[in-house]
Amino acid sequence: MKEEIRQKFSMSLYHGARIILGIVFIYSSYDKILHPAAFTKIIYNYQILPDELVNLSAIFLPWLELTIGSLLITGVWLPGSVFISNILLIIFFCALMYNKARGLDISCGCFSTSEGEAPESTLYLSRDFTFVVIAVYLFFKVFITNSAGIKSPSRRIP
Amino acid sequence: MTFINRQIWTKTIKQVFFIALIVLVAGFASNMLRSDKIPLVEDWSAKSKFVTSSGENLEISLAEASTLFKEKRSVFIDARSKEEYENGHIKGAISLPYKEADLKFVDAMAGISEDSALITYCDGETCELSMELAVFLRNTGYKNVKVLSNGWSVWKQNGLPVETGE
Repeated sequence: MKEEIRQKFSMSLYHGARIILGIVFIYSSYDKILHPAAFTKIIYNYQILPDELVNLSAIFLPWLELTIGSLLITGVWLPGSVFISNILLIIFFCALMYNKARGLDISCGCFSTSEGEAPESTLYLSRDFTFVVIAVYLFFKVFITNSAGIKSPSRRIP
Repeated sequence: MTFINRQIWTKTIKQVFFIALIVLVAGFASNMLRSDKIPLVEDWSAKSKFVTSSGENLEISLAEASTLFKEKRSVFIDARSKEEYENGHIKGAISLPYKEADLKFVDAMAGISEDSALITYCDGETCELSMELAVFLRNTGYKNVKVLSNGWSVWKQNGLPVETGE
């Protein structure tokens, strides 16, 4: 009985994490898809990517976020979407850390393309870190404990 | 266990490939169709924020700006809103919000000769008000206008003199 409750809890945690992360991705893509030109400036201001890649990232990154978000929420193609979300979130987190370390307190552009967003880099870092933790947890669930239920001959059929 | 993992990784690679394909098509198509499309590659270096259309770089370093400040050889112009100015600004700076520059220009710049060295500033790396104001002032006849990038923040962070109020 206890084991059953534990397992139920574990599964709700897993589904909750995947849906929350999906919402985060879709929410963050929305404003960027609407304002690509403003998003290019934000990417440029991060001063990490070479100039040639600034506009290309502004064109494709929001769509990647939207796609990943939708896949996470619907639970379709989970290994692929969880894998990409880990890579994306770790890159975002490193970009924020890098710019904090070199004292470049820029508008984060995490969720919005407006310049009014206060540059509270520590807040952004801890928020991003939370997302990284959720993503790593999902990675563990999907790739190690196989919670997505990827079929294989070794799996016992009840 | 190993077998499951191999299965998952094969799936992952396939899925990543298809996701990339979807994103490529969606990104290209939406950028082609929208009215405010952006070029795939843009020359950001030439378009550097503080370079005028004639190719002159207006940016001034904090070191230069603070030297000019200490020697009282330049006038600082705050391009932010009046409220932000009143909450704190570089000591002795004049408030000329860029958004009301047309209306407030005559009053704000009264008594400042066209030969004076001016330094405009606003706040934040992405703030463009200072550059816009600098271009505006140059068009009105001021020859010597510079821009202090992210001026208010760097000035404050370096403990240079500030004041509040009007």
